[in-house]
Amino acid sequence: MVVGKGGVGKTTVACALGLEAARMGKRTVLAEVDGSGRAAGLFGAEPASVGEAVQVRPNLHILNADGKASLEEYLALIIPIRRLLDAVFASRIYNYFVAAAPGLKELMTIGKIWWEAERLDEATGRRRWDLVILDAPATGHSVQYLRMPQATRDAFSAGWVARESQRVVDLLTDPHRTAVNFVTTAEEMPVNETIEMYRELCGELHMPPGMLFVNRVHRVNFHREDLARVTTAAATLKSRDERALLQEVVRRGHEELGWAEINTEYLKRLSREVDLPRVELPYVFAEEFGLEQVRELSRHIETVGGAVASKRAGA
Amino acid sequence: MKTLDTVLARHRVMICAGSGGVGKTSTAAALALYGARQGLRTIVLTIDPARRLADALGLHAVGNEMRGVPRQLPIEGDGTLTAMMLDQKGAWDALVERHAPSPEARDRILTNRFYQHLSQTFAGSQEYMAVEQLCEIHDSGQYDLIVVDTPPTQHALDFLEAPQRIADFLDKSVVKWFVKPYFSAGWATLRFMNRTVGVLFRKIEEATGVAALAEVSDFFTSMGGLFENFEARVRRVYELLRARTTAFVLVVSPEEQVLREAEYFCRAVGELRMPLRAVVFNRVHHEFSGRGRMLDRDRLVALLARAGAQTSGEALADNFLRFEAVARGDMVRMEVFRAQLSKHVAIAEVPNFDADLHDMAGLARMHPYLFESAASRSRTSERAGPTFGA
Repeated sequence: MVVGKGGVGKTTVACALGLEAARMGKRTVLAEVDGSGRAAGLFGAEPASVGEAVQVRPNLHILNADGKASLEEYLALIIPIRRLLDAVFASRIYNYFVAAAPGLKELMTIGKIWWEAERLDEATGRRRWDLVILDAPATGHSVQYLRMPQATRDAFSAGWVARESQRVVDLLTDPHRTAVNFVTTAEEMPVNETIEMYRELCGELHMPPGMLFVNRVHRVNFHREDLARVTTAAATLKSRDERALLQEVVRRGHEELGWAEINTEYLKRLSREVDLPRVELPYVFAEEFGLEQVRELSRHIETVGGAVASKRAGA
Repeated sequence: MKTLDTVLARHRVMICAGSGGVGKTSTAAALALYGARQGLRTIVLTIDPARRLADALGLHAVGNEMRGVPRQLPIEGDGTLTAMMLDQKGAWDALVERHAPSPEARDRILTNRFYQHLSQTFAGSQEYMAVEQLCEIHDSGQYDLIVVDTPPTQHALDFLEAPQRIADFLDKSVVKWFVKPYFSAGWATLRFMNRTVGVLFRKIEEATGVAALAEVSDFFTSMGGLFENFEARVRRVYELLRARTTAFVLVVSPEEQVLREAEYFCRAVGELRMPLRAVVFNRVHHEFSGRGRMLDRDRLVALLARAGAQTSGEALADNFLRFEAVARGDMVRMEVFRAQLSKHVAIAEVPNFDADLHDMAGLARMHPYLFESAASRSRTSERAGPTFGA
């Protein structure tokens, strides 16, 4: 599971993890849940049709998971009467209910993830995937998604909805099979949400914690005094263009220093409140953010993440 | 370029939409502050402001009880500035409290187990309550300007579609299927009349356990009458969202993914007949020199060395050139996005500052970029043009 606040680079990290897993030879599927087609887009692929997976690299597929499609796939498994199903799917009441029923979409999406994780390959009889990565929707929503199986189990205490929900809960809370990975930037709001979500998912919902990815970390190798010195010296230059250029260089220096300071402050807060192995990913300065940048982060995860994980295992 | 002056002059409600992490809350607060300084009685409705911004808006001191309580802030001039955090947590409870026909009916609903799950998990209920509270404040007539910060949803559209979604869920023709007759002859009769329906109900019973169905049925029975007027209410909500005096302000940052979502948003508000009036590009990196002048790294390092940065020259030059690369990308992405907008949409570009904006002075730093009138005022004051921080 890859979770985090909207806009922190969850999809990027999920894709970087997917690339790294595929490179290691794991048959990997990355599930996107909001139909945005972001991950597929990063790999230059059209999003797969709803409920389907598309292969984007050797060993790497991207699944366009969708609540309604998953529900229909599921119903087809338990009610194998095509004519009856077609009548149900076409009915107004069914469609209204699916669109509005509380939590149904979320439940079925997580159910689909469970199904993909357990699914056997018809030809080989082995598990179809070695790794399923869920690029979860933004914070509030992902908690809603991950909470649904337990909520459903508690709401329906008997019958097979309760039993099926329990199986999904079992997967989500099994430390040998599942890990929740958090993505954040080292800024106030994303860090607040990460701390809150860490407590909710790993505390209340008993989901096994994975790693913490801190994305877009600014680091500087110059000091405020350097900027002050340039400012003073620039004022004495004769050329107006040169003065303007140096002013701009100084301004960019302050901009980067400012963000680096903010990052340092919130990295400290993360250390205090989220006890997870941490991988810091540098802010990528690029004219255009694309697959090349994802690869760069993937290589970074490989080196830093590997070290962090093995240190953790040793401890 | 048309900034937001006209938008502010012509509208009573400004709804800030956009994906998470683009500075929507700060933008909403900055718009409201400017409106108030222009002499308007202004309120900003916010969802979940960062702590320091909340402090600045007077919203944090009392914690959660602050939700739903308007706080007036001291500002200069004739206008007033009030901030209020929308109450989302108890959204459904409030709805039940307001519409329940009797205290008994209210208690029965509030203690129903199905209701408790529903109110916690119903996607969109918080968004709906935000619009509902907006309506109430608007209709009170106490404010000249209402600025709304929409919930941080990945798809800002959730906010706009939530009222319809809830109305659909409570649609009578659907609800009646879940109401009491299940326990009398209703569903049983149906079962014999129609084999298909019979199979379906047996499946549903097996699936959920009969006890759970009873709770569901009881819930809908208790709700009977509660939402009699709900459709009218939803119509009123949409009327306000589509009113001539309501403006949607899309807040974006010039990043590929954000802009892609924004394109989708623009199309969708158009289809929903809601008026997009302005786009604020936030955290923009402006290119210093697009003409390739003096941007050679070696010459820049040499120049920096002459300016006293012998040891840090390379670091400073690289930092600057990296920002220039980002800025080039920002410019291209914004141009492409702008080309798709109607020429009636006002546009503002706010630079990437060197700090979080979390107090009144910080918010005011955005004003010259949002409003031409603020820019010209700051030009006539002692310094030329807007200044950057530090």
